Amino acid sequence: MAGPAISRLNRTVTARHATHDPAWVQWTLTAVALLFLTLFLFVPLAAVFTEAFRRGIGPYFDAFRNPDAISAIQLTLTTATIAVPLNLVFGVAASWAIAKFNFPGKSLLITLIDLPFAVSPVISGLIYVLLFGAQGWFGPWLAEHDIRIIFAVPGIVLATIFVTFPFVARELIPLMQSQGNDDEYAAITLGASGWQTFWRVTLPNIKWGLFYGVILCNARAMGEFGAVSVVSGHIRGQTNTMPLHIEILYNEYNFVAAFAVASLLALLALVTLALKTWIEWKNPAAHGAEA
Amino acid sequence: MSAFTFKEQNPLPGFRLTLGFAVLYLGLIVLVPLSAAFLKTATMTWPAFWSAVASPRVLASYRISFGAALLAAAINAVFGLLVAWVLVRYRFPFKKLVDAMVDLPFALPTAVAGIALAAIYSKNGWIGRWLEPLGIKAAFSELGILIALTFISLPFVVRTVQPVLEDLESELEEAAVSLGASRWQAFRRVLLPPLYPPLLTGFALAFARALGEYGSVVFIAGNMPMRTEITPLLIITKLEQYDYQGATAIAVVMLTASFALLLVINLLQKWSQQRTRG
Amino acid sequence: MSVEVRNITKRFGKFVALDNVSLRVNSGELVALLGPSGSGKTTLLRIIAGLEFPDPGSAQVLFYNEDVTNLPASQRKAGFAFQHYALFRHMTVFENVAFGLRVRPRDKRPAEPEIRSRVAKLLQLVQLEPLAQRFPSQLSGGQRQRVALARALAVEPKVLLLDEPFGALDAQVRKELRRWLRRLHDEIHVTTLFVTHDQEEALEVADRVAIMREGRIEQMGTPEEIYEHPASPFILNFLGNVNLFQGRIHEGRVVIGGAEFQATNHVGESNSGAVAYVRPHDIRLTRERTGQSSLAARILRVNAAGPVVQVELERLDDHSQFGVQLSKEFSRQLNPQAGEQVFVELQNLRVFAEDYSI
Repeated sequence: MAGPAISRLNRTVTARHATHDPAWVQWTLTAVALLFLTLFLFVPLAAVFTEAFRRGIGPYFDAFRNPDAISAIQLTLTTATIAVPLNLVFGVAASWAIAKFNFPGKSLLITLIDLPFAVSPVISGLIYVLLFGAQGWFGPWLAEHDIRIIFAVPGIVLATIFVTFPFVARELIPLMQSQGNDDEYAAITLGASGWQTFWRVTLPNIKWGLFYGVILCNARAMGEFGAVSVVSGHIRGQTNTMPLHIEILYNEYNFVAAFAVASLLALLALVTLALKTWIEWKNPAAHGAEA
Repeated sequence: MSAFTFKEQNPLPGFRLTLGFAVLYLGLIVLVPLSAAFLKTATMTWPAFWSAVASPRVLASYRISFGAALLAAAINAVFGLLVAWVLVRYRFPFKKLVDAMVDLPFALPTAVAGIALAAIYSKNGWIGRWLEPLGIKAAFSELGILIALTFISLPFVVRTVQPVLEDLESELEEAAVSLGASRWQAFRRVLLPPLYPPLLTGFALAFARALGEYGSVVFIAGNMPMRTEITPLLIITKLEQYDYQGATAIAVVMLTASFALLLVINLLQKWSQQRTRG
Repeated sequence: MSVEVRNITKRFGKFVALDNVSLRVNSGELVALLGPSGSGKTTLLRIIAGLEFPDPGSAQVLFYNEDVTNLPASQRKAGFAFQHYALFRHMTVFENVAFGLRVRPRDKRPAEPEIRSRVAKLLQLVQLEPLAQRFPSQLSGGQRQRVALARALAVEPKVLLLDEPFGALDAQVRKELRRWLRRLHDEIHVTTLFVTHDQEEALEVADRVAIMREGRIEQMGTPEEIYEHPASPFILNFLGNVNLFQGRIHEGRVVIGGAEFQATNHVGESNSGAVAYVRPHDIRLTRERTGQSSLAARILRVNAAGPVVQVELERLDDHSQFGVQLSKEFSRQLNPQAGEQVFVELQNLRVFAEDYSI
């Protein structure tokens, strides 16, 4: 009787010993990790809001009454409203072709889609200057027809599309690949057309992954600084997005206003993280990479 | 076989439409603009190119950019592994919140991070004022660059190591201990080896991201030529001086380094997947 | 003729999945495509559904004498049930079944009350009426398979195609569901083809069985024909539970270890090596040598658990092993013991020349 009981006891002791560290190790490691995260994540985040409210509520809200700030917010929203849907349509089209069909050069295409993530934001802006700037390939032609792309809104939109290009596609491709084609095949054997299959079967299957990609894409589109900085020309009230507006205020030592606008973007980041966490919690399979 | 016969092999519609659109959009938005940089450089003479990419000021910026990015990636490899370990293995209050916040550097605009870090580490800042008496100048120095790059590349190692660590069965450690290994030996010999591929992948991703970073660095670096001027900033400086060729030549050097890194990362991820599957 | 395929060849790269296959299924028939994995049975089923395409050539697929070879899957009216069901996760059971009716062009779409009553009837048929508002994730495997069947039946298919319909279920549910499928088929008489790798399943459920091997149909017939007159050693092996005896063909008879036997099938006069296949219940055990047609063997093990008694033996001459099934009654009379020496008499030998590859 005693034999098995003891050996079972030994086993649980061994198991606990094997996978659990002593309390002091746990405490130390947790403390160091949290200290690191506090220094690098929580303190900067707290600093944004503290600096924004340093002079109180009034000056904080004054920052948003400034016409330049309003126009920067408008431009940021406009840019995201154009860039996100375009990259959304691209992401869905690319992942439909890549996940549902076999064709030569598929893995090359997947790599090329990721390319913008490997490019420095500054270079992402530069390449459009080379195409559309005054000295660029299309510069003379554009000047002749009085079309402005660089140092104007179209350039900002283009640079934003470039830096947010992969977000939706890279979320959807692994997700759709892991889901396979059987649902779509079932739909067509039941007589559904291609569009019916996509809207009624595929889209509901990928909606969380899609949403996930869109919020990340949007966060980056609204917050992009480097690429936009190169093509914007920094014309107040015209080609300044919120991040560029922050830079100008900061360089003018208008810290409260700079941090006030920054706090709005930080809030956007927090909402993005909250939504992201919510999706992961609600639908663990939605995040394709882990499915 | 041509794409046409492949379409015939699949009963689902829309292949040519979606692939056609995807390739066209990819070409117009990404490939044509990127090739513009290389074609522009191709018009330069070799000595002109060389003097543009290898002048002392440019070389100094490479040293700073590559050096700080490597160091930041290394810091994140160590602390990222630690954070992943603590998040997977231990229980503590607000763990879910902390876990979610690890992605903050992905979501927070770089300019916001830049001014926040500059405010904290300047000599009147929350942390800077404690470093000042010790003779440590954090903001507007090489250290500032390192701090900014560490911040923006923080999530990579955590997010590559974490899922692998979660999948490691505790039976492995139990087996090691039942065979007489000490806890430290079990960690070194059984747990750590499967973590090398994701650790290296995370390191490479962090390095690649830090190398090209601009927004968060410019606010805290001080931007002094030869000392705290990173390569992306130098590209902007050249552009502002209308030296398009010079800017593009440096960009091509950076792009080449980035693409090489991308290749390495792809290979690492393949290796990582093979390891996890086996 | 309800479903007919002619000269179907399908290659995946160098691999030949189907090698000039032709098949005819009568109206209202329930036919099993039986074979090991890689034999091409699922590929054939998918080609009939229009989910896969045969290599160009003289390949033809006909439904009720109408050529559907070039018709897209959405217009073939072939109901297909997938191995893993492929139920639409975000739709209720009811909406899954109604899907095929709802996606019809407006002029052919039934009115809402009509849809409701038809779906209700189908759910009644598959005994899932009470679960109409559940989601697939809330159902058991067997229930999911029945939803998949009802969904496929909703479009009034000309032919019902089932890919390993019971493959993902555990043994108990499998048996229940396949009897249920047989009863369902007797009720609705839709021409049905189903793919399986389980010979027991095929022989129990189907009206006719097509046994496939390496992209060809090796034999097609009723379960009884297949079992009683297997056309090749492959089929004998695949149906399972059979003993192999090495021997020689000599003047139309089979010589095994000094004993001579009459083969059930025609073997010719050739003087060559041969393999004889004998089912365990076609072997008689005796204590005394009964003449020319018996071999000496030693009993290794006796297992009396189950409806019959299983005896494992080893031949004395070449030490090859084989199994015998005895009825309980006969076993009581004989009372075989492990270790003792006995004689075996082989009956119903199916003999194939040695070079016949398996």
